[in-house]
Amino acid sequence: MPHSQRNPLEHPEVQLAKTGNYLIGFLLATLLMAASLLIVTHHLLPPDGREIMILVIALVAVVAQLRLLFRLDWSATQRWHTVALALIVPLFVMLIGLSLWMFHSLDAHMLGHGLGAAM
Amino acid sequence: MGLPKIKIADLDAETLWNDGHRTIDVAASDTTVLWDSSHHEHDAISTRTFGFWLYMLSDAMILAALFTAYAVLRHNYAGAPTAAQIVHPGYAFRETLLVFSSVLAFGLTMSALKQGSRAGVINGIVVSFLIGAAFLGMEFHEFSGLISQGITPERSGFLSVYYAIVLVHGLHMVFGLLWMAVMVVQIMRQGFTDNVVYRLLNLKIFWQFQAVIWVCVFTVVYL
Repeated sequence: MPHSQRNPLEHPEVQLAKTGNYLIGFLLATLLMAASLLIVTHHLLPPDGREIMILVIALVAVVAQLRLLFRLDWSATQRWHTVALALIVPLFVMLIGLSLWMFHSLDAHMLGHGLGAAM
Repeated sequence: MGLPKIKIADLDAETLWNDGHRTIDVAASDTTVLWDSSHHEHDAISTRTFGFWLYMLSDAMILAALFTAYAVLRHNYAGAPTAAQIVHPGYAFRETLLVFSSVLAFGLTMSALKQGSRAGVINGIVVSFLIGAAFLGMEFHEFSGLISQGITPERSGFLSVYYAIVLVHGLHMVFGLLWMAVMVVQIMRQGFTDNVVYRLLNLKIFWQFQAVIWVCVFTVVYL
């Protein structure tokens, strides 16, 4: 099936692989998850702050992984991958946000029970 | 780069089937064929990795829906065990280490691919596979423990969605491992052909994606 006689290993996406980035990505993700774990198990923050903090940490970890592991940037090789991701973010926000709002509203209209009622 | 001139009479069905991707050499005439890809910017490998990336984004949408379901149902205990009773953050952290290590091993595999080292790639995949299998072993242990205690998914909304999220991620890992095994066989048989290379790139995208999902699972479900 080769369309050209070029060596597939010279393809820019293969050449993107960088051991240093993978190691840093691994360390960063592990440390961030460890931080989240400690915050929760050792109650380093008040309950509400805790939840928000670990979500923020998770977001940072995901972005770090996207940059370091997936090598998402605006370079010619990865540009369209990044664009696709950027276009799907609003869809994510709508999917999650609107669904949560739906069920919150639903519960608010119900008699007696609400979100989190243990029956 | 002018428009290619095509003589319809030259494009018989058999020629197209066999050679549709290449320039057809028709005696000494200057006719060319429709799909002469040396004039095009995109190549087969990029096309396939982009397509796969779009597929992974759609997969992410499905998972986003699952996480939303978790947010809605997380407190619906229905008298069955609660999150605090069945969720063990420390255990999950060890699972986290395994997932990340497996992804790191696969990253090193891709570095070996860059060097063109067949042995490096196969070894990397095997290591990644073993660590991934260890992760699945830990999950199996966790869930068989739950089931043996009678803590089954149908007992409450929370349990249903807990099982759903963790097992969906686990299933993804299973398919990833299967894919790795197939790639090892393909590399041994074909070496680094176009097909093998794009499949490895896609597997890299898939496997790294599992780490991203696991960050979310660990944070939202286990913490």
